[in-house]
Parts: sequence; structure tokens; C-alpha cells
Amino acid sequence: MAADVHNKGGATWDTAKGGLAAVERMRSDRSDSPTPGLVEGTEPGAGQEHTMFVHAQSFEDLTADSESNPDAELTGNRRSAVGDSEEVQEGQGVELQGGSTGNEAGEQKQWAGQQRGLRPAREEDVTGEAWRAHRKHVFVLSEAGKPIYTRYGTEEALSTIMGVMMALVSFVEAEKNIIRSIHADGYRVVFLHKSPLVLVGVSRSSQSERELSRELQYVYYQIVSLLTLTQLDHVFRHKQNYDLRRLLAGSEHLTDNLLRMLEYDPGLLLNAVTSLPLASVARDALSAGLQVARAKSLVFSILLAGSRLVTLVRKKDQYLHHMDLHLLFNLVGSSSSFREGEGWTPICLPKFNTAGFFHAHISYLEPASNLCLILVSTDREDFFNLSDCRRRFLERLRRRSAYKALQEALHSPTYPVSQVGIPELWHFVYKSKSSGLYTSPELPVPYQGEEEHERLIRLYRYLHSCLHHPTRPLRSMYRSGNTENLFAWATSGFELYLCFSPLGTKALAMSAVTKLLKWIRKEEDRLFILNPLTY
Amino acid sequence: MTAMRVDVKVVMLGKESVGKTSLVERYVHHRFLVGPYQNTIGAAFVAKAINIGEKMITLGIWDTAGSERYEAMSRIYYRGARAAIVCYDLTDSSSFLRAKFWVKELQTFEEHCKIYLCGTKNDLIEADRSMRQVDYHDVQDFAEEIGAHHFETSSKTGNNVDELFIKVALDFSNSALELMRDEKGVDLGHKKDSYFYACCHH
Repeated sequence: MAADVHNKGGATWDTAKGGLAAVERMRSDRSDSPTPGLVEGTEPGAGQEHTMFVHAQSFEDLTADSESNPDAELTGNRRSAVGDSEEVQEGQGVELQGGSTGNEAGEQKQWAGQQRGLRPAREEDVTGEAWRAHRKHVFVLSEAGKPIYTRYGTEEALSTIMGVMMALVSFVEAEKNIIRSIHADGYRVVFLHKSPLVLVGVSRSSQSERELSRELQYVYYQIVSLLTLTQLDHVFRHKQNYDLRRLLAGSEHLTDNLLRMLEYDPGLLLNAVTSLPLASVARDALSAGLQVARAKSLVFSILLAGSRLVTLVRKKDQYLHHMDLHLLFNLVGSSSSFREGEGWTPICLPKFNTAGFFHAHISYLEPASNLCLILVSTDREDFFNLSDCRRRFLERLRRRSAYKALQEALHSPTYPVSQVGIPELWHFVYKSKSSGLYTSPELPVPYQGEEEHERLIRLYRYLHSCLHHPTRPLRSMYRSGNTENLFAWATSGFELYLCFSPLGTKALAMSAVTKLLKWIRKEEDRLFILNPLTY
Repeated sequence: MTAMRVDVKVVMLGKESVGKTSLVERYVHHRFLVGPYQNTIGAAFVAKAINIGEKMITLGIWDTAGSERYEAMSRIYYRGARAAIVCYDLTDSSSFLRAKFWVKELQTFEEHCKIYLCGTKNDLIEADRSMRQVDYHDVQDFAEEIGAHHFETSSKTGNNVDELFIKVALDFSNSALELMRDEKGVDLGHKKDSYFYACCHH
């Protein structure tokens, strides 16, 4: 099966890669022109030769439902059976409108008023006010209406409410239609039916239905990554009312953590990852080290510093999807298990292939450091070979000055916005579309608290949803507010979100953008991964 | 052949949250981590060298995840293991049923694997006798029946943990000697003691 996974993925993503730009562009060309290009492949941060990730022209391509995804064939029968109703879904999904959705400003205050602590006790009283007051609920159930996951409270206590959810889904489907959302009393209830699972998100925020649905997809893929879709289908085909929690036991915290990541990590919003700022000489040396320490079964070698990518080396013609990489980040980030020894675990990368497992060798390079090496292999018997790759990589690394540079970079994994030299600029997020990487400075004082941090991300999310509106997308947008002024701009090469002091003006924001782009161009060697390698 | 030299492949098996990882942590790193329970993902491998008499033996310990999700995968972890430490929680009778399942599995697929039954969380019993749900003598009888060794340990206090792993290494060392005695003689052309390499990964 392992080999299958591999070939399949290759064939699939070759075409998806499509119009890869900036192929022959030489480094000198870039530095000659100080004005950053607005066109894909010439924007600051664009890779020199090849991209590392599955490449797509737009956000919409990347987020396209897996129905249009080549791996749809894997779920064959089921899909064609509901084929008719899916067409209906596009045009006329059912929206049950009731009550008001409330104005945004009011809701924002409500958000701000809520404290979000660590994982609340699972034994939360689901009939209590506190349970209702959570900003966003996520439920996962089987098609038989059996609870699989709830973000708050225990699944057992919620079996009735999940039964009602399933009833709603099947009632609408009986009419050859699909329920997508219910809007009532300031709540938004979004449904995502991905056989054999049903996912439901309940939100009091102003987040768009599309956004919520995308988050549910993340949760769905999180579950698939643990089990593969093949196993999931198999289990429910044999026993419709199977209690999937048996197989998912111990993985709840992965989903919990993923939902938290969705709330504060701009990478998940932008379909991009951020890298550890590091001198390109050092980064190239690390990439070369990983390239040399290869094994036959190896598909991806990924070096992480916390949640930041240091470098990624991949097999030729194999691309990793952001979503899969985020799922890997989540796996590593939410478990201390890999600190104990060398981890060896099956993992399905659902955007690559939902049918089979890869096997990941996961280890920290040093006991106390947050440098984590992930070696993704197709062969489940290959642990000792990969362990040897790790040893070789580490031995080589220790002999080189790059290691010292890396360790120094680990002390300052981010940079203050003041480096840009625009006093009114508080924060920004810049994504280079062709490389799939984004850069962002550390949070300034007003946003350092957890609550304010999330509020800033919510503002960015709002801008993002305007730039990516399904029917009326904006190219740029300026919004002035009491606490900050915001500006967003999308070109075919990049997306940029900026947050300014409320005292700034629009004209100032415009000139700041030019200055910032120049700065990013100047620093791109350090902020981005310009020379990704393959084995 | 890879560079890592492992003499004995040891696999930890047992129901989730019985404390397999804690046991390994205690033995390898001499520590006990207090904090929220963290389940193992897949399996973790750690090598530990131990001196038995004049000889140094390296235990390659596979700490497997107890979750049912990885059950189908478990064979790759215990295949070729010379020793299996099958853990159960002294305060949870269902975990002993699960231990019996693993014993059966090992007897079917890995008949050369020595089994060590290990009751964990002994410190809880010491603090409150009524916590005990698995009777010592029942397990002792079961152990004799299957030809296994039996330990009760506490990773929190370290009680009996080193003894368990030393026993594993000692048994291996002795059985290796026995095997050598059985062998017809020394083949001078065959320099490398390939026997020690042969057990860990195929």
C-alpha cells in the first residue's frame, strides 16, 4: 500500500502544480530591481526555483472542497450515490434564516468579554450557561447519530443533541438537498456532511459560514489523518452504529489543539506556513544536510523550530499540501510523546492521499531544544534506516557553523516590527503566494494578551474573507477603527494585511505598504526559504 | 545493517494509560513526570545500555501506544522482540484482561519472546490497599502457567523498575550463553558476532 500512496500522489499533484512561475529566474535579476513585483513568482519571498508545497493559483483552489479533488475517486461509490444532490448544493443550499445575526460591533465586544482558559474539564455541565456561552462549539458524529467528538463537555451527555443534528441532516437530505447552515438568534450553525462523518459547528462570532465550514474540514482531515478514509469507511460499512471514539481514544487533545490553532495561527487562515528567520547560508547548509541524509523510502524531511519551518526537503515531484503540514505541526505541537525517544507513527496525509498511511520518524534533535525533525517515509519497516538518516544529519550538522547560526536563530525566532522603520505600523502579515510562506513580526504590546491576540486574528480573518468573498472579492480594503486602522491588499503575487495605529491616515498606509514591500524584499533571504531542495 | 547497535529488542505492551511510558521514563531517564496524561502516538524507541557482569548489553525499548487505533500496527513493533513487558494497572482490572490479550497475541505470533508481566502504580496500592483490583496471586498463577516473570512496580517511587529491566537483560545474557554452548564450535572465519545483531530489525 505504501508504494501506491506514493505514486498516486505524484501523478495527482503534478498537474495541480500547473503554472509554476519563477522557474528560471536568477537571483541577480531579483536584486537588480528594488521594486517588488506584484506578479506571482516575482514577489518578495518567492522561491528561486521550485516551490515546496502543492501549488495552486489561488486561495480558492487550495480550499476547494475535496469533491473536486482527485482523490474523490477513492471514496467512489458513496460519492456517486449522492452526486445529484451535490450539484444542488452549489446553487441552492438550504439556509434556514431565523432571528437576527446581530451587528458586528456588538459581537466583537462580546468576544472580547470572554475569557479563554486552558482546556476546560471534560466533565463540564452541558446544561449550564457556561457551556452555552462558549464562542464556538464543534461536534462530530457518525451517520447513525453517534457522538464522536465535542469540543466542550462529554460526548455521552450530548447524545440527544447530536441525535437532533443528525435528524436535521437526514431530513433535508431525504428531499435530495443538503443542509449547509442555520442562522438564528445570533448563532450560526454550519453542517458539513462528509460521509461517514457529520461535522457541526456552532458559532456566535461573525465568522462567515464558508470560514466555519473550512474549519470543520480541518477537523475532518484531522480525524482522517489518524485513521485513513479507507479505514473509516470500512469500520462504518461493517457496523453502522460503531462507536468511533474507541479508535480515536486519546486523540481528543489533537482536535482541541487544532481548533485553538485555527483561532490564533494566521497560517491556517492563509494556507501558508511561516519560517524561522535564518541567514540563507545557514538554511541552505541545513537543507543540503537533509538532502544528503536520505533514504530510499523517504518522501519529506521537515525540520521545525516550534511551529516554524526551518527547512523542508522533498522527493522530486512530490509536494506537500499546507493542510497536511499543519496537521503534522499539530501532531508534533500537541504531544510531548516525541520528547521521550524517537517516535515512529503511522500518519495519513489526507490531502496527499486519504487511503494510506505514511510512517513518520519524529524526534527532537536535542533533549531540551524545540528543533524537531520529521522524516516521512512510505515504508513502515524502515525505522532504523530513518533513525540512521537522523544520526547522519546530526553528525554532519554538528561539524558545521550552520549549527551555531541555527542555535542563535532559535533565540530570536521572530523580529520586532520596529525593524521595518514605520512608526505607525503595529503589525502585519505578508504571504508570498508562490512560495506558500508568510512572514509576520512578533505581536506588539497591545495584542500580546491571549484575548487581544485572538481579536487581531479575527480582524485579519474579516479582511481575508472580504478579499476572498466568493462573489464579490475585493482587491484592497482600508478600514479605520477606534483601536486600530487596517489595510489589506491582494495581488496575484502576494497577500498583505496590515495593522496601523488608529492615529494614522490612509495616505500614510499607502506609502507604508511600498516601504514595507521594499523591506521584505531586502530581508527575503532571511525571512523566506528561497532555495528549497529535493533529494 | 544500520549503525545503531541493539542487542535485545524489548517491547512494552498494555492498555492505554497503564503507565508504559512512565516506566520507560523512570528506567531510562530516572524521572517521573507529573502533569496531565499524554498518550503516546504510534510508538517511541529508546536505546539503553546496561552492564551485565563484564558485558555491556543494549536494550532497544519500543514503547508502544496503548490506543486501539494502533493495534493493527502493533506487530511491526513486537516482531522479533526477545522480551515483552506486558503492563497492567494494579488499580484497574480491565487492564489485566487487556494484558491477557497481549500475552495470547505474543504466544501466537512471537513464541520466542519472553514475557514479563508488570503491574504498575504500586505506590497507589501502598497508599491505600483498597485500590487494588488485580490480585497478586492470581497474576502469579497466570505467570507460572505461561512461563512468564511477574513484577509489581511503581514508576513514581522507582520501586522494582530497575530490577525488572535488569532481569530482562540478565535473562537475555544467559539465554545467549546457552545458545553459544549449544553451538557446534567456534567458526574462526566468522569474526563478527552476528548473533547480537540479528534480533532487532527484520
